[in-house]
Amino acid sequence: MASETGIGASVKRKEDARFITGAGNYTDDINAPGQTHAVFVRSPYARARINGIDTAAAAATDGVVAVFTGADLAADEIGDLPCGWLVKSKDGSDMVAPPHPPIATEAVNYVGEPYAVVIGETLEAARNGAEAVDADFEERPAVVDLATAASADQIHESVPNNQAYDWELGDKAATDAAFDGAHHVATVDIVNNRLIPNAIEPRAALGEYDAAAGTYTLHTTSQNPHLERLVLAAFVNVAPEARLRVISPDVGGGFGSKIFVYAEETAVIWAAGKVRRPVKWRAERSESFLADAHGRDHVTTAQLALDQNGKFLGLRVKTKANMGAYLSTFASSVPTYLYGTLMAGQYTTPAIYVEVQSLYTNTAPVDAYRGAGRPEATYVVERCVETAAREMGIDPAEIRRRNFIQPGDFPYDTPVALTYDTGDYEASLDKALGHIDYAGFGARRAASESAGKKRGIGFSCYIEACGLAPSQVAISLGAGVGLFEVGEVRVDVTGSVTVVTGSHSHGQSHETTFAQIISDKLGVPFENVTVLHGDTGRSDYALGTYGSRSLAVGGSAIIKATDKIIAKGKKIAAHILEAQEDQMDFADGTFTVVDSNQSITFGEVAFAAYVPQNYPLEELEPGLSEKAFYDPPNFTYPAGAHICEVEVDPDTGVVDIVDFVAVDDFGHVVNPMIVEGQVHGGLAQGIGQALLEHGVYDDAGQLLSGSYMDYTMPRADDLPSFTVDTTVTPCTHNPLGVKGCGEAGAIGSTAAVMNAVTDALGVASVPMPATPETVWRAASARGSSAEGAERGE
Amino acid sequence: MIPFRLNGDAAQFDSGDRDTPLLYVLRSPTVGDMTPKLGCGGELCGACRVLVDGEPAYACTLPAGAVEGRHVETAAGLDTPVRRALVDANATQCGHCLPGIVVAAEALFRSNPKPARAEIAAALDSQLCRCGSHPRVLRALVDLGGE
Amino acid sequence: MEQAGESRIAQPRDRVWRALNDPEVLARCLDGCKSMTPVGDGEYEAEVGAKVGPVKATFKAAIALNDVVEPESYRLDVEVKGGAAGFAKGSALVNLEDVTGEDGDETLLTYEINGNIGGKLAQIGSRLVDAAARKTAARFFERFKVDFDTA
Repeated sequence: MASETGIGASVKRKEDARFITGAGNYTDDINAPGQTHAVFVRSPYARARINGIDTAAAAATDGVVAVFTGADLAADEIGDLPCGWLVKSKDGSDMVAPPHPPIATEAVNYVGEPYAVVIGETLEAARNGAEAVDADFEERPAVVDLATAASADQIHESVPNNQAYDWELGDKAATDAAFDGAHHVATVDIVNNRLIPNAIEPRAALGEYDAAAGTYTLHTTSQNPHLERLVLAAFVNVAPEARLRVISPDVGGGFGSKIFVYAEETAVIWAAGKVRRPVKWRAERSESFLADAHGRDHVTTAQLALDQNGKFLGLRVKTKANMGAYLSTFASSVPTYLYGTLMAGQYTTPAIYVEVQSLYTNTAPVDAYRGAGRPEATYVVERCVETAAREMGIDPAEIRRRNFIQPGDFPYDTPVALTYDTGDYEASLDKALGHIDYAGFGARRAASESAGKKRGIGFSCYIEACGLAPSQVAISLGAGVGLFEVGEVRVDVTGSVTVVTGSHSHGQSHETTFAQIISDKLGVPFENVTVLHGDTGRSDYALGTYGSRSLAVGGSAIIKATDKIIAKGKKIAAHILEAQEDQMDFADGTFTVVDSNQSITFGEVAFAAYVPQNYPLEELEPGLSEKAFYDPPNFTYPAGAHICEVEVDPDTGVVDIVDFVAVDDFGHVVNPMIVEGQVHGGLAQGIGQALLEHGVYDDAGQLLSGSYMDYTMPRADDLPSFTVDTTVTPCTHNPLGVKGCGEAGAIGSTAAVMNAVTDALGVASVPMPATPETVWRAASARGSSAEGAERGE
Repeated sequence: MIPFRLNGDAAQFDSGDRDTPLLYVLRSPTVGDMTPKLGCGGELCGACRVLVDGEPAYACTLPAGAVEGRHVETAAGLDTPVRRALVDANATQCGHCLPGIVVAAEALFRSNPKPARAEIAAALDSQLCRCGSHPRVLRALVDLGGE
Repeated sequence: MEQAGESRIAQPRDRVWRALNDPEVLARCLDGCKSMTPVGDGEYEAEVGAKVGPVKATFKAAIALNDVVEPESYRLDVEVKGGAAGFAKGSALVNLEDVTGEDGDETLLTYEINGNIGGKLAQIGSRLVDAAARKTAARFFERFKVDFDTA
């Protein structure tokens, strides 16, 4: 049904009226009768031994219900927070993860790590109690600098050299040989700056225990409630899965940071059982800064070998990745399988070798943040390509063209483990060049020059692997869980449809997109479709939302369930119309006997299924409700061309993004308006990384960028009017031909901005974020050591 | 009890809560308006914004006693052209910042019905959005101001 | 944070030294000091109310006099545990020198302060703490100087 509400239509979001009028239902909006309030007591030290915790005064504080330390959780056999992806080192040994008790017991290893939790009748009482907790810390020297962490003081007894693993991917010998025969080698030294996710809704949890039934219910700000439940049940040992329900209601942004299973949610649901009353917690913003998993934080040297024509021969990448103090839920996979595997980019580079050493420091844990590994990979590849183009005097668009994998080359096996199914990279680049008016750039640059400004243009032709993931591939690479998705389509008696998805929407608008799919496939009016999500009590086990997977994986599961509905509907319709099942056709909400004028509507079939009078009960169960699990056969590979044009004021160092074009290939698009919003969001975060954002610790491990006074978030006036466009090569292996759009903006844009800034200044590199001071220094130091500039020296 | 008006209706809160930030009082069971959100607690993100006698205020820090006898408006009560424009523009993503943005924009349009783009951007400077809804919010408000 | 300063006091050195070792004098001169209780030889526990940026709290400070060279110099170590607000640690090297003034013996007091902060104090107040510490130190020695007139 090619309608105004079907696939491909910019249907207005169902969610907006609710959100804008304040009728959203977020975790902190939910209160339970008789609830208590939790306040966590957090370490002010980056590294210290805990010699003792005196909770007596806290427990005696007015209105304090209970005070718990790590010892109390341990006594209840509450387990450590696990990392769900086992990465192996070069020598075949398993990664080394230190014990990670939810509440610290013997030592604290980053500022903000909780070492006690106080439960109070009121928030104020809990705060007063928290003030009265007295811990005896023995401070020890903090390990903060990533570059030297391997040779610094050993943080964890069980982790020599502070190393989680030393991983490699690709053919070292072939890559070395490629460099031996190279005409030119371009080298870049890169610091990928630490970012702090900062969803505007702070994390929150409301834990409830029903003593009569012995069941727990946790409302929380999770992107994947089933994963939260699995970990809390199977690893942390709060309660068996069947007695634990996790509900993620409306969630105010996640960006990866709400995937993980954290200390606070764990302690809250456990404590609800201990105090036998509901326990509520909502993070203060300062807690979000300290204790949400951070993103990025790599130090990398990369080299690209080229022949005399600018053809890429080999790529060598050596990265140190900061894990923070503990291994967060998926931290190990981010700088490895979501990073090294993307180093081919859109190019035919035949030999690639990637080494990644992941190290612990006394900082907040680092894990997936929008793009997760793929922005870092794109930054490496695209900075290398741009640097090579400039050094060899080849136009940056042209050098990319010479190296693109061609449309006829698919499926294409890269030297770093992936098989790209489809793409047309030149089509996106051409469209982007047209939008930015590349031909007119010289004149615009001259005009800027005469106004005392420096204009630059930067490219980024990114690729991402998303739609996570083929379970068997992921499990063979170390994933501890399958990565399929579930979708359930319940046709109601009166023909309306309830869809239950395991994906979770925290801004992506599943309620609209998935309703469009159903409306399109079943011919049911869009407004008669309701999408439910975010509740382990409603959906089967599923993996939730991350890695731009909701539509490609969750949507595909819904399509599969819909196919089952249609198949059953044909049987019912054939019986009623006294025709053969294989004679039945279904389109636009009507079952028709082919080559006849006999038909019956979808609603009539649904009614017959639930009021089975004229119905083949001996052959067919009543009802019209189907469920499907979908496990993708491959990743999806969204790709695109981002071009950024900047004007720099050399006197102030202020970078003005005068134009930004993003042309993305997401395969088929269900709702262009929603996709555009997702791209805007990704671009804002990618540009934020390039120009504004930086999570900074001082030498003692104190977080200096710990509030909105010091951590610069993109604001309305920081962002240009983006030109967003798409090209389409449909994904070859999922029913909708979709690829995913959630992360592309954050993956592609950062390199484009930095390539533009360096182009404007005529310098080899500028460290991120390119703040006015940094840019001014780089402009002033033009001609001096580029490496020095990148390292901020 | 301390009386005030909330979105046109009579409301009240416990006199013991005079010094409590207005945000907590509005969101308490006594008043029960969950529209303004806590984002930062320090007047730095704008998620909590409300109008007090038509002027924008940060509910996360304003002592509740300050609204005694005054009129507090939250996004829930602002069925205005500004809010309708933002709904029509599908400006929202996760939605957590939008109630505050509605209030900030409403305050601007009440004092300046035809604001220029730069004035709109300046009025939104106090409003953080992590989803990147700003381009669409700006576009919707620029269109509204240009009508 | 690191800072240094000096103050010229129109009193003989032994008198200045005695004052520097008198907890009541120290308490009077320290901004926000609510109490200063001796807890051992050269060790005190002080209660100090302070406001740094948005962080306001009453701190318990452990004060100890170390490396005492009578009547010349000592190191004053201060450790503040601010509970949920974090911690602050600092030490002040104080040195006294005889100088001759117009009206007889005077003393030149020089100090060097080192310190660091942690937890919420550092997270939110790092930019403000330096200035606050500088101000507190300056006010301390200002008051200390005039305390001889009022005591």
